[in-house]
Amino acid sequence: LSSPDGIVSLCSDLGVDHTDVRILMLAWTMQAEKQGYFTLEEWRKGLKALRADTAVKLKKAVLDLDKTVRKSSSFADFYSYSFKYCFTEEKQKSIDTESICILLDLVLGSKFRPQVDSLIQYLKVPGFIVLSFFFFFQLQTDYKVINMDQWMGFYRFCSEINFSTLENYDPDLAWPLILDNFVEWVRSKR
Amino acid sequence: KKKFRIEPFRHKVVMDPEYGDRTWKMLEHAIHQIYNQSACKLSYEELYRRAYHMVLHRFGEKLYSGLISAVTLQLNAMCELIEAAHGDSLFLETVNSKWIDHANAMQMIRDMMMYMDRTFIPSMKKSTVYEVGLSLWRDVVILSGTIHSRLLNAVFESISQERNGEVINRSLIRSIVKMMKDLGSSVYADHFERPFLEFSADFYRAESQKFIECSDCPEYMKRVEGRLKEEAERVSQYLEARTEPGIVKVVLKQMISNHMHRLLHIETGLMKMLIDDKFVDMGRMFRLFSNVPDGPSTIRDGMSSLIKAVGKELVADPSNNLMELVESLLELKDKYDKIISVAFNDDKHFRAALNSSFEHFVNLNPRCSEYISLFLDRKLRMGLKEDEIEAVFDKVMALFRYLQEKDVFQKYYKQHLAKRLLSGKRVSDDAETSLIVKLRIECGYQFTSKFEGMFTDLETSMDTMQGFYDAHGSSKLVVKVLATGFWPNLLNVACKLPPQLSALREMFEAYYLGSHAGRRLSWQMNMGSADLRASFRNGRNYELSVSTHQACVLMLFNEAQRLTYREIEQATGISSPSDLKRCLHSLACVKRKDVLRKEPERRDIKEDDRFSVKDEFSSKARKVIIGTAFAQKESEPEKQETRKRVEENRKPHIEAAIVRTMKSRRVLEHNNVVAEVIKQLQPSFLANPGEIKKRIESLIERDFLERDSTDRRVYRYLA
Repeated sequence: LSSPDGIVSLCSDLGVDHTDVRILMLAWTMQAEKQGYFTLEEWRKGLKALRADTAVKLKKAVLDLDKTVRKSSSFADFYSYSFKYCFTEEKQKSIDTESICILLDLVLGSKFRPQVDSLIQYLKVPGFIVLSFFFFFQLQTDYKVINMDQWMGFYRFCSEINFSTLENYDPDLAWPLILDNFVEWVRSKR
Repeated sequence: KKKFRIEPFRHKVVMDPEYGDRTWKMLEHAIHQIYNQSACKLSYEELYRRAYHMVLHRFGEKLYSGLISAVTLQLNAMCELIEAAHGDSLFLETVNSKWIDHANAMQMIRDMMMYMDRTFIPSMKKSTVYEVGLSLWRDVVILSGTIHSRLLNAVFESISQERNGEVINRSLIRSIVKMMKDLGSSVYADHFERPFLEFSADFYRAESQKFIECSDCPEYMKRVEGRLKEEAERVSQYLEARTEPGIVKVVLKQMISNHMHRLLHIETGLMKMLIDDKFVDMGRMFRLFSNVPDGPSTIRDGMSSLIKAVGKELVADPSNNLMELVESLLELKDKYDKIISVAFNDDKHFRAALNSSFEHFVNLNPRCSEYISLFLDRKLRMGLKEDEIEAVFDKVMALFRYLQEKDVFQKYYKQHLAKRLLSGKRVSDDAETSLIVKLRIECGYQFTSKFEGMFTDLETSMDTMQGFYDAHGSSKLVVKVLATGFWPNLLNVACKLPPQLSALREMFEAYYLGSHAGRRLSWQMNMGSADLRASFRNGRNYELSVSTHQACVLMLFNEAQRLTYREIEQATGISSPSDLKRCLHSLACVKRKDVLRKEPERRDIKEDDRFSVKDEFSSKARKVIIGTAFAQKESEPEKQETRKRVEENRKPHIEAAIVRTMKSRRVLEHNNVVAEVIKQLQPSFLANPGEIKKRIESLIERDFLERDSTDRRVYRYLA
C-alpha cells in the first residue's frame, strides 16, 4: 500500500509532476479505488498491464501513457474513471465545480483547448463578477456541483459538437440542461 | 346419292332506272311544301307509300341524304330571314317562331319517313330523322355565323334588363332556353350555360364593385341575399334547374369570396357587427359566407382576432380592478356565446375558436387565477340567492377552464377559502359545497381533497368545542383546530394574550391535549376574533366585535389611560409593524367606529403616536363591528412567494409524471417524454419543457432513469 507521500516520491522518481495527467492515467491503469493510495493488488495489476517489471521500464511506460491512453478507444472509460476517482466520500455523486474545472483542464485540456477554456470560464463565472456577466452569474448559480451525467455530457459535447459554429448543437437531443445553458451563453457572448 | 334441288324460276324485274330520282323529286317537293306551311295539300298516305317503296327498293341512302340536303336548304333560307331580323326582340321572336316551324315540319317529315326510321336507319346505324332535324338546326342555324352570338347577346341583354328591375318577355326567353335544351344537354351546357355564367360573373363583378363602394356591409349582405333569391327564381322560371348551383356559385364568388377581407374590416363590417351585437346581420353574413370556400373560417378568424384583441386589452389594463376585470371577462364570454348561438348557428368550430381565443388571453395575465378566485370569494361573501350564485359559478367555471395554471388557482382558492371559513364570513355552506363539487368534477378528487379536509376540520372542531363546554361549563372560547396539511401556510403573527384570555387558552390546551396526546397546537392569533363588552365613561355600553389582536390592544386600556405606540407594541407583542398599524388604524381612524383617540390626529399611524380611549364614543347600534383592513389583492412580494411555492409544488408532480411515463414505456425519446408529461399535467398546469428536463436530470442522478449508451435522445427506466 502506498500513501500520498509514497506517490509523491514515486512521481519524483519517475520525473513527472504528481499533478500530471499521466499519474491519473497510471491510477486508471491500476484501477485504483481511492485517490492518493495504491494497494498492492492494484499496483500489481497496473504494472502487469504496463508490462513493466523494472523501474526503468515503468518510467518509460508512464511517460508514454499519455499517448497510449489518448489513442485507445477506452478514453471514454478513462474519462469517466477520472470523475469517480475524485470522490472522497462514500456514496458521493457529484463534484464541486472548482475541482471539475481543474479536472477538465487536466483530462481534456490538451485535446479540446477552446471548449475547455470556455467551459471553465462558464463554470467559474461567479468567480469574476464582471458586469456583462452579471446575468450569467445568476444563471450559473444553478451549478455548484457537477454530476456524472453532466460530466459525461461535457466529453460528448467536446468530441461531437463543432465548437466554432455550434451549428450541429440540437437542444432536442436531450443534452443535459447545463450544456443548453452553456451553448446559450456562448452564443450570446459571440 | 345426289340430291336434286330445283331452283324456282326467277322473273327478271326490270326497274325503271329513273324510279329513284322521280320518287325523290316528289318527296323533296313535299318537304318544301311542308316548310312552306302548305302541307294540307299533300297526301300523307301517298308520301308514306313512296318513301316506303324507296327504302324497299334500296334507295334508302338516297332518301336519307336527300332529306338532309333538302332540310339544310330550308334551314339556310330560314337563317337568312333570321339574320335579317332587326332588334333583339324581333330577332328572338323570329328565332323562336322559326324553331317552332322547323319542329313542326320535322314532325311531319318523320311521320312520312316512318319506315326509313324503323328499318333503314337502325340497320345503317345512322341518326333518326328527329335527331337529324335537331342536329341540322343546331349546326346550320344556331351555331352558324353570327346567330349564336346574337342569340346569346339578346338573351343576356334581356336578363340583365330584368336584373336591373325591368319587366321582360319571360316566356320568349323560356322557349329559347328550352330550344337550347332540346338540342341536347351538351348544347345547353356548352353553348348556353357556360356563356351565361361567364356573363353573370362579369355582371356581378361590376355590381359588387359598384355596390361595395357606396353601401355599408349589412346593406350589401341584404343585397347579395336578394340577388341569390332572384337568381333562384330566374332558374325556376326560365332556366334549367341544373343551372342553379352554378349561378349561385357565381354570385357568391363575385360578391362574397372576392370581397371577404373587405367585408370583415370595413367600418360597418363584421367587426362592427360583433361589437354592436347585430345578430340578424351577422346571421345573414354567416349564412352567405358558409357557402363559399374559406368563408366560415374567415369569419371565425376575424372573430378570434377581435376577441383576442379585446381580451388582451382587458387583462392588460392596469386600471381595471379585479371585480371589474372578471365581470367584464364574463360579459365578454356571454356576449360571444350568444352571438355564436344566435347568429352563427351554434357552429362547433366557432365555439372552439372562442375557447382558444379566451385561453390565449386569459393566460396572458398571470394574475387571472388569483382574480378569479377572489371574484368567487367576493361573490360567496355577498350571499346571493342560491340560483343566482349557481349561475355565477357556472359562468366562472367556464373561465376557470381556460386557465392553464390551475394549480395556481388552487393555491389562491385555498387561501381565500381558509380566510372565509375562519373569519366566519362564509354565508352559505351549500354554495361552498356546490362550488367544490364543480371543481372536483372539473379537476378530479385530488384537486379538492384539501378543501374538503378544511370543512371536515371545522366540523370536528365544533364537536371538540361541545366536549370542552361540557367539561368546563364555559362557552366563552371558540377554537378551531386545523390540520396543517389541509390549510394554507397562514402567516402567524404572535401576540401576548391578556391574562384573562391566556387562562382560557391554557384550559383548552389542557383539555385538547388530554384527549389527543402527541399533537401540537400552535395558535394563529391573527386569524381570530373576539366580542368585547365595553363601558365608556359617558355611560354607554357597547358590544365591540373585533379581531383577537384588536381585543388585546383594547384590553390594555382596562389598566391604562393613555399608551404610546411603542408601549402597545411591547405589551401585545405584535412584532409585525404592518399588522399592528392595520389593527390600530381600524380602531382609531375609521369614522363612527373610532373607539380610540389618537394624538396627533392624522389619517395614518406613526410610530410615535399616542392612544387613549375615546370617552364620548357613540354609535346607533349596540353592536359595533370593527373590521380589519385586510390586504385583498396580493402584494408583489407575496405574489412572488406564492409563485415560488407553486413552482416548488410542481416539481414532485412533474417527477411523478415522468416516472409514470417511463415506467409504462421503459424506453422513450426525450421529446416524447416531454410531450407526454405536458399532456399528463395539462389539467392542472402547463409544464415548462426546461423544468421537465431539469427533473429528468435529477431523476437520472437519483438512478431512476439512465441515458441510452448509444442513442442519446433515449432514456431508459431503471426499475
